[in-house]
Amino acid sequence: MTTPVKDGAEVTGSVPGHVDAVDVLDGGRRPSAEGVSILGRVWGFFISMRIGLFIILILGLLTLIGTVIGQVSEEVLADPVAYQQWFEAGPRQKFGGWATVFDALGLFHVFSAWYFRALFAILAVSILACSVNRAPRLWRVAIKPRTSMNDAFFAAAPLKAEFVLPVGVDAAVERVKAGFAQEHFRVLDGSKKSKGADVYADKFRWGPFGTVVAHLSFLIILAGFVVSGTSGFKDNQVIAPIGVPVAVGHDTGLTVTAMSFQDSYYDNGSPKDYVSDLVVTKGGVQVARQETRVNTPLIVDGVWFHQAFFGVGADVTATKDGQTIFTDTVPLQWTSNDGQRSIGQFAIQSAGVSVYVIQAASGAKLADLPAGSVALEVHKTGVTDPQVQVVSQGKSATIDGITYTFDRNRQYTGLAITRDPGSWIVWLGSILLILGSYLTFFLPHRRVWVRVRPTAKGSSIQVGSPIKRDPAFEPRFNDIVARIQSTES
Amino acid sequence: MLVYSQYAIVAALVATALASICYIWAVVRGHQEIMAASGVQRPTKVLVGTTGDHLDDLDSLTETPVASTQVAPSGPAAGSLARYGSLLAWLALGFLTVALVLRTIVTGHGPFVTQHEFATSTAWGFLAMYLFFEWRYRARTLALLMLPITAGALLYALSWATTADPLVPALQNSLLLTTHIIVAVFAYGAFAVSAAAAGLYLLVSYWPERFGHVLPKEDVLDRLGYRAVVIGYPLLTMVIVLGAVWAEIAWGSYWSWDPKETASLVTWLIYGGYLHARVARGWVGRGAAYLLLVAFASVILTFVGNAFFGGLHSYGTGR
Repeated sequence: MTTPVKDGAEVTGSVPGHVDAVDVLDGGRRPSAEGVSILGRVWGFFISMRIGLFIILILGLLTLIGTVIGQVSEEVLADPVAYQQWFEAGPRQKFGGWATVFDALGLFHVFSAWYFRALFAILAVSILACSVNRAPRLWRVAIKPRTSMNDAFFAAAPLKAEFVLPVGVDAAVERVKAGFAQEHFRVLDGSKKSKGADVYADKFRWGPFGTVVAHLSFLIILAGFVVSGTSGFKDNQVIAPIGVPVAVGHDTGLTVTAMSFQDSYYDNGSPKDYVSDLVVTKGGVQVARQETRVNTPLIVDGVWFHQAFFGVGADVTATKDGQTIFTDTVPLQWTSNDGQRSIGQFAIQSAGVSVYVIQAASGAKLADLPAGSVALEVHKTGVTDPQVQVVSQGKSATIDGITYTFDRNRQYTGLAITRDPGSWIVWLGSILLILGSYLTFFLPHRRVWVRVRPTAKGSSIQVGSPIKRDPAFEPRFNDIVARIQSTES
Repeated sequence: MLVYSQYAIVAALVATALASICYIWAVVRGHQEIMAASGVQRPTKVLVGTTGDHLDDLDSLTETPVASTQVAPSGPAAGSLARYGSLLAWLALGFLTVALVLRTIVTGHGPFVTQHEFATSTAWGFLAMYLFFEWRYRARTLALLMLPITAGALLYALSWATTADPLVPALQNSLLLTTHIIVAVFAYGAFAVSAAAAGLYLLVSYWPERFGHVLPKEDVLDRLGYRAVVIGYPLLTMVIVLGAVWAEIAWGSYWSWDPKETASLVTWLIYGGYLHARVARGWVGRGAAYLLLVAFASVILTFVGNAFFGGLHSYGTGR
């Protein structure tokens, strides 16, 4: 939607707050592209909205791919062996030969791929460059606006009016000014012509700075993501057996103990509540205690304790030659494919053994594994066949010189423990982003130019406004024009 | 009482369908009246949009000079049909409001949890936003697309189990549940309006001689689409931010690249692209209209996404 002006130049549709590359206020002149240095070209690349738009479209496409193609979890990605297993079991079955190609392109972890991050970095630079590029002009338009316009403007202005007032120029100017002042416009005198006078009026001149705020806030959010990714910590899989202190680590000096955990259910079987009674100590002194639920994390010293999962573990002790070489709650965190068995695992590095602890899942009745007992399946490095023994609670079994005791079952609660200094940066950016958007869209800079010229019947008045994307202004504009026309002086 | 809520939804669906018929009929009648008024020749642009976005579009059809009783074909006038359509649309909004209020009373939480509840709320958002645009800009021809979209959302809602699910622990945050979803409902409503405006724009743009005289002018539709995005975009920003706040509280991380999260980011990027594309020359008109349709497809993908992609948002989808 363009309106021809002159010399083939065009008035472009405009977004409030944005200043068009070429608009009628420049008399339709285009900046020359010749004789630009390399630095100038680089700058030109980054301030080009087309480039920015193109990057956004590619990011959108990549994100779509990342949504449709199943993504691998961070934990699995970090472990090459686990990744290979995941790859063969999932994508290989689903995509066949294409899986190798997708894998080479990093499509199974798009959001951590180097090119995804590089595109965000380029977008960030582009946004910064655009803001820097645009700010001086926005400043000039707000502070030192052009106060007089030429014929081309009044011919092409999207909002315009032309009428005659039966009074002299000075009286007409007063009427015009009064009309705008009543609508709380700032009114400025135009550069005086030999005959007649010009008037410039505007409102919401700070509105366009909303775009600067919004764009910079996007950078602030990206910075928050970077801070989140490079500082603090996020332990999603912390198992806290009931009554057993667990060190938080990461130089926090904090220790968390789950005093109890309770899960409750609605009549239809869907979960109603998960609650852990958590005690946090520092240097042996209790610093916090709270019933921690999914939506009410416990927060101490900037460390957040979230209720994440729960389960049952088995307390197992292993001794060798009278020495205790292992004692811990082994979380039975996996379920067999048939859903009948709960499985946990622990390893004793010094003895070169890996032990699976298997128990009948709640409600399952197994002939070879009675309730209240566990099967211990001991895998020894270099030995193919595992050795299996079933022991009931409180009893022991000796396998390969190591005595394993199944002390008791113990419930555990699963916590996500995080400290994220980046999140506050993200919240600050988010607030600015919303404020900036509203400023931009709902306080568009309204600018009106008026030309008063003496005629035989009094003064001819030409009113013009370049705003096209601000339909709400049109009735106000018409009101103001009507008021100026009707005022009796 | 839940059963009365269902009756109200069906009543709203019927009212929406009848309103659609009224509006389509009104446009057909308007076309006939203009034909009758102007003889055999097809008029070009006899109406609407001359004063900004305040379109007395369907009224203008009947107010066309010479479209008086002696030449007008028999049957109800376009203007009165459109008024019946408007009345029925308001009635549908009333029924839906009753349905949602009843459901809230029965379940004890906002109707935002199951796919059925969220789809019904979204249909309410579509109707509310349409009626806002009808009231504010008198852009009633948008109904031609908005009401069928609303009916589609209601049919989708009815295709899901209507049982009331209690709130699972992750959703037990009434402040965020309510604000996050209500803002989303209004955002989706605004985006539906922009898509309807874009759809009509393309009709007028490709077949001016067939639709040009009964639909608003191209630039009016273009502006309406833009206006709707200007309302919807900051709301979508808020939806995403509120979602991030909630994720930080409940899951310990403000962003997890969860499918629904990611899909809404794509939607946000596309609308952001649209807003910027209007500044770059050549991206108004058909290009912008197509972009609005793509963006709304992304909204729909985001809307139904949790039912198909799984992820952290898959509550109450019966899986």
